[in-house]
Formats: sequence, C-alpha cells, structure tokens
Amino acid sequence: MLFELVESIQSFSLMVYHSARYSLTNFRSREVLIQMDRIGVGSVPIVFLASLFAGLDMALQFEVVMAPYGAKALLGKVVATSIVRDMGPVMASLVMSARVTSGIASEVGMMQATSQIEALSVMGVDPIDQIVAPRILSGILMMPILSVIGDFLGIFGGLVIAFLAAHIPAPLYWSGVREALTLPNMVNGALKPVVFGFILTSVGCFYGMKAGGGAAMVGRTTTRAVVAAAVWILVANFLISKLLLNLWGNEG
Amino acid sequence: MFENVSLGYSDKVIVRDINIEIPDGKTLVILGGSGSGKSTLLKGVLGLLHCFSGRIVVNGAVVDSFSQSELLSYRQRIGMVFQEGALFDSMTVGENVGFWLWEHTDMTDSEIEERVRLLLSFVGLIETINLYPGELSGGMKRRVAIARAMAPQDPLVMLYDEPTTGLDPFTSKSICDLIRQVQKEYGASSLVVTHDLQDAFRVGDFFTFVKDGSLIVTGDRDTISESSDPFIRTFLAV
Repeated sequence: MLFELVESIQSFSLMVYHSARYSLTNFRSREVLIQMDRIGVGSVPIVFLASLFAGLDMALQFEVVMAPYGAKALLGKVVATSIVRDMGPVMASLVMSARVTSGIASEVGMMQATSQIEALSVMGVDPIDQIVAPRILSGILMMPILSVIGDFLGIFGGLVIAFLAAHIPAPLYWSGVREALTLPNMVNGALKPVVFGFILTSVGCFYGMKAGGGAAMVGRTTTRAVVAAAVWILVANFLISKLLLNLWGNEG
Repeated sequence: MFENVSLGYSDKVIVRDINIEIPDGKTLVILGGSGSGKSTLLKGVLGLLHCFSGRIVVNGAVVDSFSQSELLSYRQRIGMVFQEGALFDSMTVGENVGFWLWEHTDMTDSEIEERVRLLLSFVGLIETINLYPGELSGGMKRRVAIARAMAPQDPLVMLYDEPTTGLDPFTSKSICDLIRQVQKEYGASSLVVTHDLQDAFRVGDFFTFVKDGSLIVTGDRDTISESSDPFIRTFLAV
C-alpha cells in the first residue's frame, strides 16, 4: 500500500516534470489549440449555467441571513468576495472535473487499452510529449479564462436576486462589487484557477495513462480520476486560501 | 537476432532462452497458441521490455543498451503493425499515415501529402484519406496500419503482430498479399507473429514455433511440415 503510494507519487512527479520540459522545448501549438478548444471553449456552456445558478443561490441565502441585521446593502460586496475568492474558481473547477477530467481519463485510457499509446512510443514519440503536455498546458491556460466568465456570471446572478428579491438598487449592488475587487481578492481568484486547471488535466492524464485492460477498467479509472481531481481541488483551495490569508491577513 | 533471450513482465518470465536469427530481407513467422509469448518477443525487439538474460541485436546494435533518446531514434526506424491497427482515433487516415513524417522529417506539408497519397495508393485506400479510423472496417484499418508502418523509407525491420486476427478469409488473404508486397518493396527483414498457419505459410520464408515460452522448431516450410514434434503435428492438423 505504502509502496504503491510512493510509486504513484514518483510516476506523477515524473509525468509533470516531463510535461513541463516538453512544453518548453517542443511546444505543440496545434495540439494545444485543439485541447484549448475542447477543454475551454467546450466547457463555456456548463460553466455558464453552474456559475449563474451558484450566484443566484448564494445571493438568496446571504440575503436571508443579512436582512435581520439590516446589512442587505452589503450583499454585492459579500457575494462578489465569496465568488471571486472562492466559490467562482471552485464551482467552475468541480463542474469541469466532471467534464474535463473524466473526458481526458477516458480518452487517454481508451488510447492505452487500444495500444495507441504504445504505438506512439513505437513511432519514436514520447506519449507525454504528444498526449499529456498539451492537455496540462491547455488546462492551465483556459481555466483562468473560464473562471473569470464564471465569476462574472455568478456576480450577475447575485444582482438578479439583489434587485428582484432583496430590492437593492443595482448601483448599490455594483458599488459593493467594486469594493470586493481588491488586489488580494483578485490574486486569490487568479491563482486558484491556474492550480485547479493543472489538477483537472494532470489527474485525468495520470489515471488515463495508468488504465489498462478493456472498457470496464477504463470506466473504473475514469471514476477514480474524477473523485481524485475533486478532492485535490478542495485540498488545494484550502491550502491556497490559508497561504494567502497568512500573506495578506484579512485584507480584502 | 535473439541470443539466449529471456523476457517477461516484472519478475515473471514469459519466454526463455530464445535463439532466432532473421536472414536479411526475409520474413520470419513466429507461430504459437494464445499466451505462448509470441507478442512478448516483438515487445523485446521494440525495447518495450528488457531482457532478463541474453540480448536482442538489430542491425549490429544491442537493443537493451540504448539510452532513452537512442531508443526513440531506433524505434523511428522500425515499422510496426499492431494487432488491431492501433490507429489514432482523433486523426484522419491521412494524418495517421503522415504522422511519422511530420514528427521525424523536415518534409513540407505538400511533400508529406504526396507521400501519404502514395502509401495509401499502395495499400489501395486512397479514397479514405479524409476518413477517421472509426469509419473503417477491420481490414481497412489493418491496411492503413501497414501504410503507416511503411512511412519510414528505410525501416530496419517490419514487425506485424497478429495482422489477420479477426478478419474474414478473403480479407486475411489480401492482408497477407500486402505484407508480401511490402517485403518486396522495401526488402527489409520482417517478423510476423500469428497463430494462423495458413496465413503464416502465405507470408513467411522461415517459421518458428513457440510453446510455453520456448522455441520448439525453427526452419523453412518443409522443416515444419516434416516435423515429428507432437505439438506441431497437432497444430498442422487443426
């Protein structure tokens, strides 16, 4: 058990190291663009819906809690802070893990099961170079963009509730939002998606590359990949939050 | 050339003390039942498995002695046809065949396209150039896989892993004919792994039988036909 864990950490680290090396020395622009389209553009609708409804719900819940204290005017600031610092990137990443991590794990797993990965090696091409590096790079590049789209929609969802249910004027809501967009919050919101994009894609690739056997094995591997990605996103979210809170205190 | 080679996975030996020499420009067929270790030998030639003992020598170089980068360069000169073709799903037939050329040559796109068309014409599938592997039949996939394996113009050796498995007799025969044509075209030594005796006799110059990880008989068609080994007699009778 311990040996397997150490072996997995070692293989994962080697995979990431070689991916980084290939991304710098043998940049595959065509593959990266294809993956950016699949991972990024293809995920816009699902991030759009998830973020919008998360924003709607968050504003609804906050309004209920804040109204008795006469703090409804702060709704814009509270919603925007929660979304930009935490909920936006986390929500988008968790939704993306269901789409992107599972997609990568099953695709790479099937390539492994049908000897396509072996065929690459046999043709003198390192599979990490052709398969893994472009996916990880695309995840790192696209996740922040998706996260910004998600943040905007979540804040917009909050505005809908603020205006219709809490009867807060839109300018008041927006001034709260502007107050929330401080440097520490923006750094929080920019750093997390980069890390989450890395986790989503690298975990999918790692499990996919380890898959063997037939369709059943690929299915099991895909499930494990999605669970692992979701857990690691939450762990990373906590660690980054803690790190930045230590760095900036409660600023923002 | 296999010199006292033992190969396997982790600590499990699959084939032991194998000695085979493939004469230049000839086709050697490795025959045997499922799980006998035939494909393991191909993985040894490709450097995907390390020898527990002995050595595999290709073109004067010992495969196990290669560094990772030397191994990648060496593999660039091996033509390999996988059991089910192992075509890249996400690429068209043309992209599959041209992949090696894009990766390892300085040819321009138009030169690559010309070569891809030539190779696809050779295997009789020029009309499939823009199709995806999922749109092809089993036999067509094998043909495309052969075209892809032919992309290096000077392969050291051509390897075929069960090239006719799962195909109907007519398609199997056409694949065997194609393997002979490739051999004539390149003159490179070929190693074919199969469990089908009829197909083996169609493509091979020499034959070797593997049983439980060991070689029993190696020789030409007459040697095999006249062998008194009970396993081979049974194999021939089926």
